[in-house]
Parts: sequence; structure tokens; C-alpha cells
Amino acid sequence: MEEPRIGVYICWCGTNIAKMVDVEYIAEEVKKLQNVVVSRNYKYMCSDPGQDLIIKDIKENNLNRIVVSACSPRIHELTFRKALENAGLNSYLFEMANIREHVSWVHTDRKEATEKAKSLVMAAIKRVGFHESLAKRSVEINPASLIIGGGIAGLTAALEIADTGKQVYLIEKKNSLGGNLAFVDLSFPDLSSVKQILDPKIEKINKHPNIKVFLNTEIDEIFGYVGNFETKLFENTKSEETLKFGNIIVATGLKPFDPSVIPEYAYGKLPDVITSIEFEKMLKEGIIRTKAGKEPKNIGIIHCVGSRNNKYNEYCSRTCCATGLKYANQLRDALPEAGIYELYGDMRVFGKGCEEFYTQTSRKDIVFMMFDQRNDLPKIKANTSKKDFNMIIEINEKLSGEELNIPVDMVVLMVGAQAQDNAKDISHAVGISMCGNAFYIERHPKLDPVATTTDGVYIVGSCQGPKGIIDSVSQTRAAVSRILGTIAKGSVQVEVTTAVVNEDVCCGCQTCISVCPYTAISFNPEKNISVVNEVLCKGCGTCGSACPTGAIRSRHFTDLQILSQIEGIMSLELEEV
Amino acid sequence: MSFEPKIVSFLCNWCSYTGADLAGTSRMKYAANIRIIRVMCSGRVDPTFVLKAFREGADGVLICGCHPGDCHYHEGNYKCLRRYKLLTKYIKQMGIDDKRLRLEWISASEGKQFAELANEMAETLRNLGPANIKDKLDFFQKTKSVNEDENVEKEKMEAI
Repeated sequence: MEEPRIGVYICWCGTNIAKMVDVEYIAEEVKKLQNVVVSRNYKYMCSDPGQDLIIKDIKENNLNRIVVSACSPRIHELTFRKALENAGLNSYLFEMANIREHVSWVHTDRKEATEKAKSLVMAAIKRVGFHESLAKRSVEINPASLIIGGGIAGLTAALEIADTGKQVYLIEKKNSLGGNLAFVDLSFPDLSSVKQILDPKIEKINKHPNIKVFLNTEIDEIFGYVGNFETKLFENTKSEETLKFGNIIVATGLKPFDPSVIPEYAYGKLPDVITSIEFEKMLKEGIIRTKAGKEPKNIGIIHCVGSRNNKYNEYCSRTCCATGLKYANQLRDALPEAGIYELYGDMRVFGKGCEEFYTQTSRKDIVFMMFDQRNDLPKIKANTSKKDFNMIIEINEKLSGEELNIPVDMVVLMVGAQAQDNAKDISHAVGISMCGNAFYIERHPKLDPVATTTDGVYIVGSCQGPKGIIDSVSQTRAAVSRILGTIAKGSVQVEVTTAVVNEDVCCGCQTCISVCPYTAISFNPEKNISVVNEVLCKGCGTCGSACPTGAIRSRHFTDLQILSQIEGIMSLELEEV
Repeated sequence: MSFEPKIVSFLCNWCSYTGADLAGTSRMKYAANIRIIRVMCSGRVDPTFVLKAFREGADGVLICGCHPGDCHYHEGNYKCLRRYKLLTKYIKQMGIDDKRLRLEWISASEGKQFAELANEMAETLRNLGPANIKDKLDFFQKTKSVNEDENVEKEKMEAI
């Protein structure tokens, strides 16, 4: 092996790293290490000038290994790998030390943080010396796409892709398309009809020659990898069909929050306490009546039901405030004389045209009352004393500081959004992660918001987090453009960090075959050795840690690389040249 | 100065490393004793890595993987669990307190749990004191080589 000539770059990340880690000191210290030819610190390594610094050094100093000590490799490993490629160096001759997420952002003592950062950089330097060039492998992209979920996001995705002439498989677990929006009357802030958005799309999809719709169908397991996925579908649990596709869009949407768990609101006990979903149905039918069949004289609309409260869901469901205002408008039109009360924790109607919508609504003789969303929810009680209204809402009104009793005949609960019950099953099927609230996690919130850590799998709409039509459609189109990009290119480069067998060392014990979760290893009886199928291997490395002779190497995570990393991490003093 | 343990930690890329990243992006604060090594799967954690960490002077080793049923590679965490159980027995026989080796499940959303775990393990090890494995082995190797040198000398003398 050629003698390593290592370039080390310590990033400041503005002040993100530099304020807690002495980046200049580390850059100076590691200069003393064997094989370190260049060691620098720079404000933003990921910026173009930062990358150019690496490229220039590689060319001028004949560097053959690069260490960047900056943020998490999950964010910028690919950025720097590309920089190496631009300089004509194999992209795997690179290692990152994570001194932001794992050091500067989590520690408070500058000296300790600097020492820890130094040991991580030294580990990376030790490791990178054993890195090997790996040849890239590219796979062809099957131009068909699978879309899971037939709500507004899934429908948009299906049409956008199919209209370019590519095959789309759209699967929906329910017996009709449209998702949650199918039950919605008008949309905010323009009060336009949802039906007019949804129906033409559904009609077009049902007739589209490039779209095959599967209703009453759920995804069980998906095999393969980007460009070459495969699944078996059981439609209506009757016919079985095998589908092959290159990309997947997950658009499984949301589930409304069940308010019966909030004792204050007495949902399920008082018949005229209804959810926003149930109220939409009334609006769609055009008849607003209490359970007793009377026209309500006073209506309360309670915001943040199940949202922004640690007992239920901590997050904001994003669409309920504006929807609550939409109801005030629709009610005012339908019942000009009715008393309308908007009871809110905080009014959060952000987005284009939405704040204006709030202002307009507030001029329509609507009473706005504020309550403490976290500690003091209003209480809905049955009215037993008088006959002309059936409920009372007790509220500690925050702005006036007064305890008020509001007589009402109907209460609409603005229920929040939750992840679907089968969110975990889908995440397992497609191989993506969920956050603590069971919404799917994007590859990077800002740099790669619709992709996931599994190549070829994209997340759009409310399965990624609560959002309205506008955001869902924008996100969907972003994912579609990503997919059409890979289809246009025809192929995509995939990770080559698979396992490989050293034929001279393999003793043919077949331990690796028994631990491989992908049946990627087979036995060659003639040579009495194991053989890895690199297309099937996903590089988990479990065979590498099971192999008794060390014959199986997990590329880029070899024993030697990790052991040297451990040495580097534990080395107390610098080994001077 | 009080004793500050050194912890080497192996985190799987998909759940635990992401969880540790989340602790960072959420600016949760935890003890600086822990040094993280990324592996693609907890199933990649060869028992040799753990022993090597102790050999190099670690006072504790922490392995984190996806929760049961959540492994990105289906079952790598179960394989890790099996190896961990055996390894725990082994290190005990070698005279290493089994509290110095831990296997925990940390999901991509459990930044808080990771920070708490890092603090908790640091505290356990502070109470246990230094592992001293490196010093012992270094001493053993030194005396061994001295003895060998003496033997060589003896042989030389005898030859003369």
C-alpha cells in the first residue's frame, strides 16, 4: 500500500464548533502526527471555498487521504466525497469526525470538548490510513414508481409521474381515493371547494393508461434496492400480483386525533360535542343541526385539541387554526344570527394569505377567547338549569383574566393530526425511520427534505409531519422531480460497502451464511468457500463480526479500520513523528 | 481531580447514531466521557472491538442499536444481543466488571434517552473507578519481555 499522505481539515462551522472547541489548537496538534501532510482550520468546510481548499491541497501536495472534522457524516459526507472525486481521488479515501453534533453542541466545558474533539480527529486520522479505494457501482433504474397512499399527495404524485409517460402503481388501503380531504368541504384561506381540486384528479387517475390503482391494498414487504424494488400485492386478499418499480413515494397521510381521551371536553359523553371531521360532514351536506335536530344558536370552536400539550401531542398540527377560522366564516354565512366563539391557546395561522384571513374573519362578529393550552383547558359541561341551551363552556379567559361561562348548543373540537396506526409497518416495509411521534424522518430537514436515508424512497405530505394541501403538493412535486431526474439519468450509483470473502483465508465453515439476513452469501462446494452476492449484500457487516477466520471483510468497515479507530480514540498522547 | 472515565461507544448508523445526532441538534447537554464510533449495524460490533477498546484503556464500552424489531437490517441487533450476552460472561472471567459493558437500544428519535444514558454510564463508571486494564496488560507485557530478555541473556551466558 502506498504511504498515506493525509490532509486534515477542522471546520469552525461559523461559531457552532469554534465557540466550544479550540479548532486552531487541534489543527496545530495533529500536524505533528505521522503521515499528516496538511492540517488546516477553516470557517465553513462545506462551502465552495472550503471544498476548493481540499481540492487544491490534494493536487498541490499529492494528498491521498482526507479527514474533515465538522458536522455529522450523515449531513456532509457525500459533499466531501464529491470534492475528493473532483480532485481525482477515490471518494472512499475520506473520513469524517463528528465534532459538532457529538461534541460542540452537547458539551459545556471548552477544555473537555476540545480534548474529546481531538481524540475523534485522531481516530479519523488513524482510520483513514487504512481506507481503500472502492470502485463505484451503478444500477439501472426501473422507470416505474410505487406510490403508497391515495390522498392529495399520492394523487398529485401519481399524475405528475404518469403524465411524463412512466408507469405508476398507486396503492390505497381504503376502498376509495382522496384520503382525509375527501371529507373536507372548503379549503383555507381562499374558501375554495376541495371537491373541485380532488374530483378531477381522481377521475383522471382512474382513466390514466399509465396508472394502475390498487384499492383495499396494503404493503407487506418490499424487496430490493433503489432502481430495482419488488413487492407482492394482495388486492382484496384475493389476487396476488408482483410489481417491480425503481422508486417509492410514501404518502400515507395522517390520522385525526381521538379527543375522547381529554376529560375536559366530554367528547363521546355530550352528543353535541363533535370533531372537526364530523363538522365537515355537516358542512358538506349543508345542514348544521344539533343531535336533537335544532339549529344551534351558539357554537364554540375549540382549537388545539390534542396538540401543543405534553399530555397528548407536543407538536402543532399546523392546519387546525386556519380550519377553525374557516368554520367561523362558513357558520357566519349559514347562520347570520348565531353566536360564534373561537376558543384558542395561541392563534397560529401562518402562510401566504392566512394572517389576512384571520384579520378578515375577526371582523365578522366572531368572539375570540384565549385559554392556557398547557395547564388550564376549558371545560364543557351539560346545562341542566335552563332549556334554551344545552351546554356551558367554562373558560379562564387569559386576556381579560376573567372566568367566563359560555352558553352553547354545539362545540366543534379542532382535532390535531397523528401518524397513522400502521406507520411502523410501512416504515419497516420500505426501510425508513420514524421520529418520536411516528412521523417519518427525512434525510435532512433542510438539505434533503423529501428523500430518506434509504435511496429511492421519498416521503411527502402529512406522513412526514402535519401539513396542509399547499405544503403537501409542493413537497410531492419536489419528490416527483427527484424521481424523474433519476429516471431520466437511467442509472444511479449505489454504495459499494459490501462484504467480500478472502478465498485464501475462508475455511468453509458457513457461519456467515447462517447470519446473513439477505441470503446474500452462498457456498461454493468446489472451492469450499463462501461467496458474497454483492447485489444482494446491503453491507450491514454482521458476517464480518461472525467470521472466525477473518476471511469476510466488510468494505469500508474492516476490522483494521475500526481497530485503528479505537486506537486513535484512546491514544492519550500524540505519537510524534 | 476526580476520576473521569473514558467510554468507547459503538452506535449503529440508522437508529442510535442518528439519535446521538438528534441529541446534538436539540442541544442536549451530556458528559464528555463518551467517544462515538459509527458502525452500519450493531451486528457489526465484533467482540474483538470491545476487547480492543478495553485493551487500549477504555473504562467502559457502550453498544447501541435499534430497538428490537426496528433493525434496518432486520435482525442485526439480535445478533449483537447474543454476542453481548456471551461477551459479558467472558469479560467477567477476565476480571472486568460487567457493568463496564452495556448494550442499549436507542432509536433515531431518542436523543434525550441517549444523553441520559451517556450521563448515567459516566456516573456508574466514576463510582466503579478506573478499569486499569491497559496498565495491567502493559505491565504484564513489560515484565514478560524483561523475563524473555533475561532468558536470552542466560542462554547467551550458557553458550559462552
